[in-house]
Amino acid sequence: MNLFKSYAKPGTLDEAVKILSEGPENTVVMAGGTDLLLDIRQGRHPEVDLLVDISEVKEMGAITLEEDWVFLGAGATHQQIISNPIIRENGQCVVEGCGLVGGPQVRNIATIGGNVAHSLPAADGTVALLSMDTEVQLASREGTRRLPLIEIFAGPGEVTFDRGRELVVGFRFQKKREGEASAFHRVMRPQGVAIAILNMSAWVKVVGEKIIDLRIACGPAGPKPFRGHETEEFIKGKTIYEGFFTEASRILGEEVSLRTSAHRATREYRRQLLPVLLQQVLERAVSRSIKKPYHLKDGSHE
Amino acid sequence: MNKLTCWVNHKQVTVSVEPGEMLSDIIRYSLGLTGTKVSCNEAECGACTVLVDSVPVLSCNYPALKAQGKKIVTIEGLEDKGTLHPLQEAFIKYGASQCGFCTPGQIMTAAALLEEKPEPTREDIEYALNDTLCRCGAYPAITNAVLAAADYIQHGKPIEFPSLEFEGELDVVGQTVQRPEAVEKVTGKAVYTDDITFPDMLYGATLRAGIPHGKILSLDTSRAKKLKGVRAVLTAEDIPGRINHGLIVQDWPALVGVGEKVRYVGDAVAVVAADTRHIAAKALTLIDVEYEPLPIVTDPVAAKEPDAPLVHEEGNLLKHIKVDKGDIVQGFAEADIIMEDLFTTPTYEHAFMEPECSIARITEDDRVEVYVGSQIPYSDRDQIAAALNIPKEQVRVRGPLIGGGFGGKEDIAGQIHAALLSRATRKPVKVLYDRHESMLVHPKRHATRIRVKLGLKKDGTITAAQTELYGDTGAYASLGAKVMGRATTHSTGPYIVPNVKIDCYAMYTNNPPAGAFRGFGALQADFAIEVMIDQAAEELKLDPDRTQAEKCP
Repeated sequence: MNLFKSYAKPGTLDEAVKILSEGPENTVVMAGGTDLLLDIRQGRHPEVDLLVDISEVKEMGAITLEEDWVFLGAGATHQQIISNPIIRENGQCVVEGCGLVGGPQVRNIATIGGNVAHSLPAADGTVALLSMDTEVQLASREGTRRLPLIEIFAGPGEVTFDRGRELVVGFRFQKKREGEASAFHRVMRPQGVAIAILNMSAWVKVVGEKIIDLRIACGPAGPKPFRGHETEEFIKGKTIYEGFFTEASRILGEEVSLRTSAHRATREYRRQLLPVLLQQVLERAVSRSIKKPYHLKDGSHE
Repeated sequence: MNKLTCWVNHKQVTVSVEPGEMLSDIIRYSLGLTGTKVSCNEAECGACTVLVDSVPVLSCNYPALKAQGKKIVTIEGLEDKGTLHPLQEAFIKYGASQCGFCTPGQIMTAAALLEEKPEPTREDIEYALNDTLCRCGAYPAITNAVLAAADYIQHGKPIEFPSLEFEGELDVVGQTVQRPEAVEKVTGKAVYTDDITFPDMLYGATLRAGIPHGKILSLDTSRAKKLKGVRAVLTAEDIPGRINHGLIVQDWPALVGVGEKVRYVGDAVAVVAADTRHIAAKALTLIDVEYEPLPIVTDPVAAKEPDAPLVHEEGNLLKHIKVDKGDIVQGFAEADIIMEDLFTTPTYEHAFMEPECSIARITEDDRVEVYVGSQIPYSDRDQIAAALNIPKEQVRVRGPLIGGGFGGKEDIAGQIHAALLSRATRKPVKVLYDRHESMLVHPKRHATRIRVKLGLKKDGTITAAQTELYGDTGAYASLGAKVMGRATTHSTGPYIVPNVKIDCYAMYTNNPPAGAFRGFGALQADFAIEVMIDQAAEELKLDPDRTQAEKCP
């Protein structure tokens, strides 16, 4: 059972991009490998000539504050993220999303970079980062570049860059400012170890009683991790106590594309979950922002 | 070949590693630390948990080379100079090990939790052990054991047997009794079949049909036999005795030969013994089989149709079980209401933690010895002897611990194959299934379709019950007739019913065989009748619980 023919574990970013640029044809980057190794073993991923384990690249493990930004290294494990004070302060939704992935054994190994680079539409950490308007930093032998996170997704499991040559180094999102807060939640099958039936993440900025800005991401709601721009536009500018929820749920229901999946749930069931999750994440995010309990006014639904 | 140097249980070790080998392979097979278990082998179940630099990881999905220079602790490294870790002590006292196969993973995960959070709440424990599965369902005992261990570590509170509410002076009843093999199970010393190795042992692998129904037109093993490291490739022609096995009806071929039919995807077509698991697996890909696909039947009701494809030449009916009591026509005539509904239940998988494993070897006095965690070892002995065409006395089945069975380890799995390969090579041969093969091959819980017609008086008294059951027994009989017999007699529930008519059909299909599974047919029938009683109570505006209680004898 030769899952890979050879193995390399670079210690620095320079070393990693050099290996990638010179590697044989089927050079594959592995971070935690919790998904990748299973995909190879179960025949869903072609054979690997060189497996480049980037879990110990030192630049990629960092979580730091840089002026107005939070830098989150792609090599940070889910466990490091959920116990990190910077992320706990500035990205509650990321902490909540990463905290719901797997059990401790998986969270100790699986990285946020791997979660994103796998490009699954319902990846919890990815959906959380999407609601933080995150930028992704990529590196290759040609240099580094930075682009909005949403632009790297091409479809389920597919990305817009060459994963064998270019590396997700890390992410950055804005530091939390006055009135800003976020929340993440998901619904699972009871076993607790599979991918979410539906997840959702919300970021809000409330000034006075007005929602002056917000972002909503969810999955699986299409071939790529999904941002609910139309719903965001509708809610933006409303006060938290006016009854916008029913209409917002309707708009979100129209802009998502839900489907039936064999092992998780039907399209109809997901449709019913949509307002439930929207209410939960909005109420939680706004409560955090205004620092008191908050209940959506017309938040009743079936 | 690479060299891996790391620390295992506080000792530095250096081992050779093939690319692609996982840490669990190295721990179990290179270092012989078999306390670490591999159950799902796909990072789902937590049985293989070890600590790497103090944090729990799944060793079955952790490339061995990643562990270079790291400090690994397995269940064997948890004891401190011969003294059990408090978690081990607490697991013993609280009976938190049942089959024991998940125990090392539970303890290692919990040990990491107690390092991080010395005084965990019940919720903390449940969150931490979320991904560490116990198929026996010992979760409450596990959680209580972890709490007790934490209490001891933090406050010195001695770990004692949990108290029982029982007044009496009996020696055993009302007392907590330590499981005899508890210490072995919490220390990783408990021996399951795959933990056993013999010098010169070969590894067996089985070629499965992969199609649900078809006739074998040709079978060519010559390419596989030429592969370096392959010691034997056997087909049905190489079985000296009885080809078929089966607990009651011998209808299940150990290997399906040329001109014969495969009847489900898991049917065995050839077996290989080789120097390594990898070579054995490779050899399977070099066996050429040509099939003539045949029409399939996958539903027990469809299987009873006159023009249904025949799974067995004698017909698709394994057994028609009938009950007639009283006068069913009169019984319904006396009823105030008649309720009727149709219930279906699906196939279930046992998902025992330990996948099937058999090791066969030839003893010095030329007898066959088979090690297998089996639920019916004497039946294994008889069936192995029949296949090898030797007297029963020449076969000895030895039972190591069983990592869960739940009915799924009553039938023959790899026992006959291992014995055949060992006889052919004169060497010990281990046949270990991975999770995929396990799920594919062993008999499941019967899927059923149950029609219930119930006549009741206004006060809930049942005057008549008529039921019709179809059970999907799959490609082979296994215990199908017995299981569906139990379903038949349970299909009117525990109630006194004066007039009864039951027809139950255990049908062959091209699905995996169905056989024993906890509840043994009662579960499906009880589900149908109890839902029916609830519906009747609702219709009659009666309390369903009272209706059930009052109508029981």
